[in-house]
Amino acid sequence: MDKNVIPVGPYHPLLEEAEYFTLQVDGETVVDIDLEIGWMHRGHEFISESKTFTQSLYLVERICGICSTSHPLAAVHAMEDVDNIEIPLRARYIRTLVGELERIHSHLLWLGLAGHFIGYDTLWMWAWKYREPVLQMFEIISGNRNHYGMMRVGGVAKDVDPDKIKSLLDIMDEIEKKIQMIAKAANDDPVLKSRLKGVGVLTKKDAVDFCAVGPTARASGVSVDVRKDEPTDAYDLVDFKIIVTENGDVFDKTVVRLLETFESIKICKQCLEKLKTVNGGIRNNVKEISAGEGIGRYEAPRGEVFHYVRTDGTNRPVRHKVRAPSYVNIPTFKASCKGIPVADALITLAAVDPCYCCTERSIKIRDKNNEPYQLDLMKLSREKTEQIRRQMK
Amino acid sequence: MHNYSEFISLMGNKILSKNEKQKRLYFEVGNENIIEVADYLFTKLGCRLSTATATETYRGIEVLYHFSLDKSGEYYCPRIVMTDKKNPRMNSITPVVRGAEWIEREMSEMLGVTFEGHPRPEPLLTGNHPQNIKVPLRKWRSNG
Repeated sequence: MDKNVIPVGPYHPLLEEAEYFTLQVDGETVVDIDLEIGWMHRGHEFISESKTFTQSLYLVERICGICSTSHPLAAVHAMEDVDNIEIPLRARYIRTLVGELERIHSHLLWLGLAGHFIGYDTLWMWAWKYREPVLQMFEIISGNRNHYGMMRVGGVAKDVDPDKIKSLLDIMDEIEKKIQMIAKAANDDPVLKSRLKGVGVLTKKDAVDFCAVGPTARASGVSVDVRKDEPTDAYDLVDFKIIVTENGDVFDKTVVRLLETFESIKICKQCLEKLKTVNGGIRNNVKEISAGEGIGRYEAPRGEVFHYVRTDGTNRPVRHKVRAPSYVNIPTFKASCKGIPVADALITLAAVDPCYCCTERSIKIRDKNNEPYQLDLMKLSREKTEQIRRQMK
Repeated sequence: MHNYSEFISLMGNKILSKNEKQKRLYFEVGNENIIEVADYLFTKLGCRLSTATATETYRGIEVLYHFSLDKSGEYYCPRIVMTDKKNPRMNSITPVVRGAEWIEREMSEMLGVTFEGHPRPEPLLTGNHPQNIKVPLRKWRSNG
């Protein structure tokens, strides 16, 4: 049978930003996939070399709207690693609290979008509705719903108001109840299982070979999590477990993220309780960073964020390397998309949780005569869900 | 202080210089040994490649790989220094560490390093750039 090429992107609703996939298909089956990137390259590493260390934190905070704590947190870890700078205990709990709140809102965001892609719009509405209180918690803590500006070398910029802790704990209880409801509904839905189980499998060997991180790796049985491997901030002071599953399919990636949300809620509650009693400063006064090099990382919702800084004793880095988790997770498509139906490609591409923009666009398939015809991947995906639903009646 | 002594003694004179600090080992190796060192770290020791960093310095172009030993939280960072700034070349580790494919492509286009043996030596980020920019992270680029 002749092979056709399906281009997806550079602008498509399943893509967080401009990326261009080419799917080689043999009939309904994807036989190969390739990717072009580069449209979103903004030169953050180069710009950071002209900024002071504190200015650089504002810069890296804007690399990603969802991970706007993970990047500055990894950056301060790298800067602190140069001189092994200690931070106050209260600041450690605040950093951990903000980082875990980010994980909750990011996982709920992904869950909603995943539901939307397969036509389960109720899940989408629920997940996004109950993500809203998390953003309100950010506003109470930092004054901002996004780009919180909390991280500083040696601690954090803002303290958590002790008078607000009770109301924050109340919101956390409400969020937990709602997510339990979502988890139960998702777990009881036979269509969801039929639609996601066995789809887009990434084997453990492929996850290791591609150096995958985060839920993408953990759903394939690779127990890698910076919070346990090299605990910083308050992660060695709170009780939580790492969620690891073995199947590597989209269903397992969903399960990992859902269960991680409960672990994050557990961590947030512990941090808030500790902040009632742990007093003291929130930031050590760091006058300078000496010449050297430092590695900093943080377990972002999508996996390990890595920052490396090289310093020369001045007030700015001479080299600032940034590696986001999607950089190592996206290439796993080469393994997870081969052999699956075209209708499953959409959710498989989305399963590593790249960010999204809301531009929907149909795609073109070129046949062997190079004649294009229109096909909508999202429509295909939803049609498959409907087909399964009819079969199950 | 964590113990890198077993690894250091095993590598012997392949390590040209080293800087050891808490959970971090930065060490310089020759180009002829980088594939063997990377293979040992990835296959034998079970490290994961976080990424790699290329930097232009007075000595030359440096490529620093960051291998994470996740079970202990330690980093092993082999460094290659290419003193020929006009034509920096080194061996690619992608044939032994598949996860290095993208970052070696990026270092190649950003700093002009040629990775010999790379299975796909084409630009990753600047291929679609309208101005056809070359080696944007090199310090001398503005002087031509």
